[in-house]
Amino acid sequence: MWNWRITAACTLILILVMGAAVSFGPIHISFQQVLRTLLDLPSAEHGENRTVILQLRLPRVVLGALVGAALATSGAVYQTVFHNPLADPYLLGAASGAGLGATIALTSTHHNIASLLPVFAFLGGVLAVLTSFFISGKFFAEPNTLLLSGIAVGSFATAIQTYLQQRHSDALRPVYSWILGDLTSASWSVVSWSAIYIGFALAILFSVSKQLDGLMLSDEEAFSLGINPQRLRIFAVGAATLATATAVSASGLIGFVGIVVPHLVRGITRRVTNRSLVSVALVGASFLVLADLGARTLLSPAELPIGVITAFVGAPFFLFVLRSRRKANF
Amino acid sequence: MSRIKSHARKWAAVESVCALALLALPLTFAPTPAQAATPQRIISLSPSATEILFAIGAGRQVIAVDDDSDYPANAPHSSLSSFTPNVEAIAALQPDLVVLQSSATKAAAVESGLKKLKINVYLENTPNDITGAYAEYTDLGALTGHPSRTKVLIATMKSQIGSILSRVKHSTSLSIYHELDNTLYTATSNTFIGRVYKDFGFTNIADAADTADSGGYPQLTSEYVVAANPSVIFLDDGAYGESAASVAARPGWSGLSAVTNKHVIVLPQDIADRWGPRLVDLYKFIASSTANLAGSK
Repeated sequence: MWNWRITAACTLILILVMGAAVSFGPIHISFQQVLRTLLDLPSAEHGENRTVILQLRLPRVVLGALVGAALATSGAVYQTVFHNPLADPYLLGAASGAGLGATIALTSTHHNIASLLPVFAFLGGVLAVLTSFFISGKFFAEPNTLLLSGIAVGSFATAIQTYLQQRHSDALRPVYSWILGDLTSASWSVVSWSAIYIGFALAILFSVSKQLDGLMLSDEEAFSLGINPQRLRIFAVGAATLATATAVSASGLIGFVGIVVPHLVRGITRRVTNRSLVSVALVGASFLVLADLGARTLLSPAELPIGVITAFVGAPFFLFVLRSRRKANF
Repeated sequence: MSRIKSHARKWAAVESVCALALLALPLTFAPTPAQAATPQRIISLSPSATEILFAIGAGRQVIAVDDDSDYPANAPHSSLSSFTPNVEAIAALQPDLVVLQSSATKAAAVESGLKKLKINVYLENTPNDITGAYAEYTDLGALTGHPSRTKVLIATMKSQIGSILSRVKHSTSLSIYHELDNTLYTATSNTFIGRVYKDFGFTNIADAADTADSGGYPQLTSEYVVAANPSVIFLDDGAYGESAASVAARPGWSGLSAVTNKHVIVLPQDIADRWGPRLVDLYKFIASSTANLAGSK
């Protein structure tokens, strides 16, 4: 029962946050006009505000929600699969691999390759995770081996990435801003392809969310519940990687969402279960939409990298939740 | 075990299919807008473009310039960012032409956002040489309705630079090192600033260190600079605290001929890093600061 109520509350929060994010920006547009535009009602005001709402703000807000949901859910799944509260979606080299892919695209002299940046970032992230898997050999028989090979692959990719970046000093600025992550490149075409991949991956994760709880037991116990733990882990990490790689290729490396939001939801609900995975996704979406609202407006008329906000707000909040949880549990 | 492996392979196959599907994503390109009437509300998000616009007589049409544009003094300064432009903040001023640097953060996304709002955008590429700079002057002159004044400006600049160079004794025996920052990034003769030095006939110590992928801006080592022993050092990082004294204090640099002969010169950075009409001043500055050097070696 608690779960249903919390999910409903999180949905309501997300709707409110998205409404607020569409309403605020450097151009002042009345809330009434925003509502009229969103509901496609006729409005007395000129068409420019319509373009601002529908072409500039809305795709950005929707992309922020998608990316936030993807990163938060993947983070929660990684934490369960690896039995490690510090796990985040970038653990198996996805971030470094995507960073390398993006840097290759940005330092390339061919203009066509530069426009394929999302594809390069996606492939880089997926390839890095696959490499970690194959190097560790036994997959999840030794979760720590997988973690370590993820770290090794990540460092290796970062080494090449840094080398490329230093050799092409003219590309430093775009590479740096990509690494900090931002949603400025949001357009409906980006939103539509990320929605397909992230939606697909999240649907898989939600459908196995009850079984994921079985992974918190020992493998023998999980088997007795009718779960094949190895298969489930590979399936879950695969789907989480798809979501993460898509999020990263659409918006760069936005840190801290994948680690803060799952703990936040667990801290508030006081339950360590994956049944709250939908709530985690909804809170992740709200968190990132709010962070991007800050990125667009705090330093206006300049933009602030969203990664700065997620970490600046996320880190103290995270510590607060950790402390209150410790008081409650111990 | 083999079952697990086969599942992993299956998964790997699924992932590679997804990856391939992404490759086939439709990529949309913004169409080029039709030319409208002469713009009367121009926003310049480039310090060079600001200087150019005011020099060609389009200053009155400029309603705002970015936070790095500090010349001319009467330009309508604003807190708009040229480094991280914000589409909505730009649109709020209702411009009819925006000059945007192609090196700005997410320039392509900013450009397409502005075009969606039916705002004309001039995407300014950093020119590789002075010819490229003049081409931008001509573009801006045509766009803003001042083509003839632009022609006069270019002709004047050409003759001024020509007369400065004609009075200089060209000497390839003079070698220079142009410092971008104190980690020894420099510029070769294949860059805009490098071509200016080349016009004076100087030998650039960076040329021998150039590699295919450095883009004309290689990073040197301290040992390399000491071995090359440049006769003049131009500091483009004076704003970051570098000076003749700090250069002399670097380990191993005190014996460099540029240091012992006191030919470590701090460049006026706002002029040296831009390609506006004050380029003439840069030529003058280099000519006067090396006047007593040419042929002295």
